[in-house]
Amino acid sequence: MNILVCIKQVPDDSVEVSLNQATGKADIEKIAPIVNAFDGYALEMATRFKEAHGGEITVLSVGPEKARDSLRNCCAVGASKAYLVNSEAETDTYGIADTLAKAVAAIEAEAGAKFDVVFCGKETTDFTSSQVGPMLAEILGLPQVTNIVGLEPAEAGLAVKQETEEGYNMVDVATPCVVTVTKPEYDPRYPTMKSKMAARKVVIPDLAVEVNTDAKVSVTKVYEPAKKEAGVKIKEETVEETVAKAIGLMAEAKVF
Amino acid sequence: MGYNTITPEFVEQLKAIAPGRVYTGADINEDYAHDEMPIYGKFNPEVVVEVISKEEISAVMKLCNENVIPVTARGAGTGLAGGCPPIAGGVTLVTTRMNKILEYDLANFTVRVQPGVLLNQLSEDAAKQGLLYPPDPGEKFATLGGNVSTNAGGMRAVKYGTTRRYVRAMEVCLANGEIIKLGANVAKTSSGYSLLNLVVGSEGTLAIITELTLELIPQPKETVSLIIPFEDIDACIGAVPKIFMAGLKPQALEFMESEIVYMAEKYLERDVFPHVVDGVEAKAYLLTTFDGDSMDALDPIIEKASEVVFEEGAIDVLVADTPDLRAKAWSARNAFYEAICASTSELDECDVVVPIHKIPELLKYVNGLEEEVGIKIRSFGHAGDGNVHVYVLREDLPRDEFLEKAEIALGKMYVKANELGGLVSGEHGIGHSKFQYLRESLGEQSIDLMYGIKKVFDPNLILNPGKVCYKL
Repeated sequence: MNILVCIKQVPDDSVEVSLNQATGKADIEKIAPIVNAFDGYALEMATRFKEAHGGEITVLSVGPEKARDSLRNCCAVGASKAYLVNSEAETDTYGIADTLAKAVAAIEAEAGAKFDVVFCGKETTDFTSSQVGPMLAEILGLPQVTNIVGLEPAEAGLAVKQETEEGYNMVDVATPCVVTVTKPEYDPRYPTMKSKMAARKVVIPDLAVEVNTDAKVSVTKVYEPAKKEAGVKIKEETVEETVAKAIGLMAEAKVF
Repeated sequence: MGYNTITPEFVEQLKAIAPGRVYTGADINEDYAHDEMPIYGKFNPEVVVEVISKEEISAVMKLCNENVIPVTARGAGTGLAGGCPPIAGGVTLVTTRMNKILEYDLANFTVRVQPGVLLNQLSEDAAKQGLLYPPDPGEKFATLGGNVSTNAGGMRAVKYGTTRRYVRAMEVCLANGEIIKLGANVAKTSSGYSLLNLVVGSEGTLAIITELTLELIPQPKETVSLIIPFEDIDACIGAVPKIFMAGLKPQALEFMESEIVYMAEKYLERDVFPHVVDGVEAKAYLLTTFDGDSMDALDPIIEKASEVVFEEGAIDVLVADTPDLRAKAWSARNAFYEAICASTSELDECDVVVPIHKIPELLKYVNGLEEEVGIKIRSFGHAGDGNVHVYVLREDLPRDEFLEKAEIALGKMYVKANELGGLVSGEHGIGHSKFQYLRESLGEQSIDLMYGIKKVFDPNLILNPGKVCYKL
């Protein structure tokens, strides 16, 4: 399959962020930029899919020149081509989705081939809007499945496993399509010395696509989502013990 | 040595020194009876005093010296050799409330701290100033006073050396209650015997540390860790000297066998290292970190390191060059001790140190002991400085049988380490648990000299009795 993974370079969210008194904003200048964690999961999922079923992975980002480093890192862990829409322009989630859609069209026109699947992380760790993937699917006019944790080829196109608050949905989706990825059961792989050296040789062209800075998203209110009570996770050594404990807890709660 | 009995009047005098912070009987937290190796026994202090100033330490020492009452200083109690349990009873002097970072001297790259400051506390605070406190023992919640008292080592010792190298000066309270300064905030000295260095690693037997002046270095801007899987442990360890011979200076260089990695992964409920690489099962790994001013400066270094290890039979070289990958790569190593503890009801350990090139021979011998003695053994260690941590696990053995077999296995291990030109402890210390092995390793004359020094500092033998250089 011909796969595209959209990535965003974000400040490392594992370090403590302080307030820059001068600008009144988070002081992120000194924080190392990294590939957004969910985009990393998306790339790993795409790479595992490619290894099992064949295909090629292209990565795409809209961002500053420095984002080229992140694209190169992606080329060391599964991607073989990368494109950058080189821009520091301020925009909103719709602007990014629209720019990505134009970039997709530009890459497809250049290659003379359509992407079968477009992967996005379910959200970024800096703005956590979860909007770009779904908007991109709408603009491209493609079916989409959000919050997936796995996928397999199927007759209809792809059989994807979507994580929900209660469990999972198994969804068949036609290709081409857009999927957004949440944390699967595995972590992204380490690059190897050989793959890093090969990635250094990858030419990452700038795409001549203008960034849509016409803001369409207006924030009316920011509020905390309603808190839900945490469930109970039962995980014993064996399946038998797990089931026995679950039944015990239900009996205790007088469920039956 | 006869010590006097603690009387109610004596306790009252202590209470006058440290009001509200003197505990006796059932009010004493039972944790004060042991360190992190309960196998070496539990010893209850008769009185616990939580001190908050050097003046209080001085007053307590003066009182105890006059009354000939034992005093054992205690930090966070994270030791592994039976250093802080008060085997002669008496007063346990707890320094954890003396936890202030007093002052940075940025012109001299030093910091003054109280002895109860935690390692983690200093490293995080120093990082905010763009500075690094290089010693990096696995236990981040140990006090710096404890670290200095055991000359703690850790992962970065291979490049930066152990705690001793970073102690510029200290203020100590002598057994008689007098407070003196040792060393100075200078970069070099040729000024008589180094009393400072005698106190470093003396485990509270010579004096009580009341303040430390520690050296810092500029924080390296970038670090990259490499995970290097091998088909067998011999090739893995064999690569270590080659890395140094190539002129490379890793910040950390650890070896680990696959069994202990799996144990840690089970404990963490997460796969950390790839188990099969290019279709080959990895049986051992090197985990190394290089630091430098920029990624561009580090690239040729890690390329060179890769060349060297590939020549020595590495299956691959995995690169952890982002913060999350680095954290993941080290998460298994950092969890070894906890994972081992979680896997068994009881354990004993040693941290012998041998010349680097003797590690394979020691490991082969240690692994052979598992079958010879009939006890489960797990080991890992600092490949870069020859310090091997060996754990004997009780598992299903009856306690008596475990204790007997552990003693046999560890005894043989110490003999072997000695034969290989090694020493009893690389970084954990002697406490009361390893004195016998130290005596066998160093010989009577050295032990007599140590005991003589002890008596000069502490004529009444009240400071942490029965530790390091003599038996009660």
